[in-house]
Amino acid sequence: MSNDKQPHSAQTTGHAWDGDIQEFNNPLPRWWLWGFYATVVFAIVYWILYPAWPIGKTYTKGMFNNIEYTTAQGQHVVTHWNTRAVYEREMQFARQQQAGILKTLDQSSFDDIVKDPQKLGFAKSMAKVLFADNCQACHQAGGAGIVGRYPNLADDDWLWGGSFAQIENTIREGHTGMMPSFKTRLSRAQINAVSEYVLSLSGQASDTDLVKQGQAIFEGEGGCVACHTKAGTGNIAMGSANLTDQIWTIAKVASAKNPQEKRAAVYSVVENGVTRTMPTWKDRLSPTEIKVLALYVHELGGGK
Amino acid sequence: MAISSVSVQEHYNYHIIKKFVVMSLIWGLLGMFTGVYIGFELAWPALNMDIAEITFGRLRPVHTTLVIFGFGGSALFATSYYVVQRTCQVRLYSDVMANLTFWGWQAAVALSAIGYMNGYTQSREYAEMVWPVDILIAVVWIIYFLVYVLTVRRRTQPHIYVANWFYIAFILATAILHIFNNIEVPVSLFSLKSYSLHAGVQDAMTQWWYGHNAVGFFLTAAFLGMMYYFVPKQAGRPVYSYRLSIIHFWALIFLYMWVGAHHLHWTALPDWTSTLAATFSILLLLPSWGGMINGIMTLSGAWEKLQTDPVIRFLIVALSFYGMATFEGPLMSLKSVNALSHYTDWTIGHVHSGALGWVAMISIGSFYHLIPRLWETKLWSTRLVFTHFWLATIGIVLYISSMWVAGIGQALMLRGFDEYGNLAYTFVETIEFLFKPYVARGIGGVFFLSGMVLMAINTFMTVRQGYRDRALLDAKLVAKLARA
Repeated sequence: MSNDKQPHSAQTTGHAWDGDIQEFNNPLPRWWLWGFYATVVFAIVYWILYPAWPIGKTYTKGMFNNIEYTTAQGQHVVTHWNTRAVYEREMQFARQQQAGILKTLDQSSFDDIVKDPQKLGFAKSMAKVLFADNCQACHQAGGAGIVGRYPNLADDDWLWGGSFAQIENTIREGHTGMMPSFKTRLSRAQINAVSEYVLSLSGQASDTDLVKQGQAIFEGEGGCVACHTKAGTGNIAMGSANLTDQIWTIAKVASAKNPQEKRAAVYSVVENGVTRTMPTWKDRLSPTEIKVLALYVHELGGGK
Repeated sequence: MAISSVSVQEHYNYHIIKKFVVMSLIWGLLGMFTGVYIGFELAWPALNMDIAEITFGRLRPVHTTLVIFGFGGSALFATSYYVVQRTCQVRLYSDVMANLTFWGWQAAVALSAIGYMNGYTQSREYAEMVWPVDILIAVVWIIYFLVYVLTVRRRTQPHIYVANWFYIAFILATAILHIFNNIEVPVSLFSLKSYSLHAGVQDAMTQWWYGHNAVGFFLTAAFLGMMYYFVPKQAGRPVYSYRLSIIHFWALIFLYMWVGAHHLHWTALPDWTSTLAATFSILLLLPSWGGMINGIMTLSGAWEKLQTDPVIRFLIVALSFYGMATFEGPLMSLKSVNALSHYTDWTIGHVHSGALGWVAMISIGSFYHLIPRLWETKLWSTRLVFTHFWLATIGIVLYISSMWVAGIGQALMLRGFDEYGNLAYTFVETIEFLFKPYVARGIGGVFFLSGMVLMAINTFMTVRQGYRDRALLDAKLVAKLARA
């Protein structure tokens, strides 16, 4: 479509397609040619150093490029360069780098670790990723939990005990906590009264008559004291909740707007019951990993 | 022009080209919209609205299929049918066969997209089509090959123009790749499910031999064919070097076939295979650049056209992105770089610098040259082409740079260790980090998509103008005849 058609000069190949498309016959740009040769040299050097060309059932292994490493089982290996050996060597380096501190952690008590900034720093750095990769899906970032589903680990309320040893045991063995449903055992009025009494234990009741009725059921017909104790402080041996603090892991009391909603929140738990499982981790994590995780969870908030 | 081109319309089969151009634009709009949408889904997953059909996993192959095979494929059919007729000075071998390729190809693209949304996929990247669609594509492709080669054989020109070598290589290689990657055994005649004939690492190797050569022959060689016609044509200058075109053509064709395994570094693939793929990728750098040099140097002596001709801008910027992407590719194919880049968004950015920067830009430039000639009129608005150029360029730059940040950033986080030798970041922290780059990428996509919307409007108006011009001309002719 242009007007400056090139005349057939010595420079072009002499053909014109579709009216005006012609081709110069310039030589290959020198830098292009030398660049290509450079990549050829690069490839040849690469082939000499690394496994490269198949020959029958085997292949060239590469030269001047051996890798030495020791496996986790203590086997010493010298091999030609290969990606698996590169990985093994890196793992060996990591094992060597951390072997000392891991052993020290194994042998130290919780109290020792907490007092020693070096040990504590290492344990927390190790546990941070373990927690995010294994625990955070339920207990959420920072152990905040989800009310009604997964307990908050950052407060000082512990269903199964908040000491190092208790937390470690919880992670290692897991737990199943169960509160039965009272739907068939108590009437709706009775559940309503018990709920009001439960609220009174943490000073949140509004109807004193109802509280009185509720107390009778709590301590009598309902049998609530068997797990929650007469004082309502719960029992960490069975994971039953302390009802006297203002921390609620199942009933959505904290977000309730008025006394009726608060009572309804407790009512629903008493009526339906709860079963929650914390899985066991002893088959998935090493004792050292469980130990540092226990320490980490203890440090999240209010460990006892 | 009007007088000669009436005969041109009869001499050549322009009708088939028009159909492919229109479908290319429609698939392009749909595919790019899907891309933008799933890009935002990655930033805000709630956008999938819990509807299975529009979740990321289902829409992603819809996006890739619509843009690669719908938009890119139709653009290649359109331009190849145009170029082969113009440079051989002969009509297509068979209108019926050409029509079969049109309807067969459109059906394959539509069936694939609908199938993926409903969960029918064979889970091979860029080859997700279920076996009946595979067969349909194989048939269409063999017809395409026959139409093309028989047309070239009928040529009235003594020599086969370079663009045709590239198109023929693309058609032939794509047939081989498609057929060998899809050798599979259906579970039953009435089931869409099938099993690949290959197993394990050989299956993976076959898939990436296909996957990378889809890039090499479909998205590179074929679009180089497009470049070799439309750049010298639009620039009005001879191709820079015939010699270079021969050398880089054969080097490209020979070397591409070896490099697919660089998608499988650090896997169960044997190390020697991996090495060969990496080194052949390095060897491929200069042959790839041969095409870029030949295109850009064609313009030397006419640089001032960059200021006035937006079509030239599209073509030259496409070549620049081609050069950049083909430099980045060999770099990423080295095992040590790949250990960082693989499984990150750097790969996605690299693909899009090729797909948006090279494939889409060269197609858009060629279409702006082609459309007024097909419908025998002038472009409705050149100004809109300039606007499109800037929207597209800004979109690509946003896309690529945000994916560099996302990919390299996440990779460095994943391999970061603290002073104790423990991982510095949790996996979920690396995901949180991606949010901002994902939003920036989505915005880049919106820029690029809006450019395509302008193009669709411009094309619609140009075609309408073309029909009006034609009606006017016919009326004049009738009046003249009546007077006579």
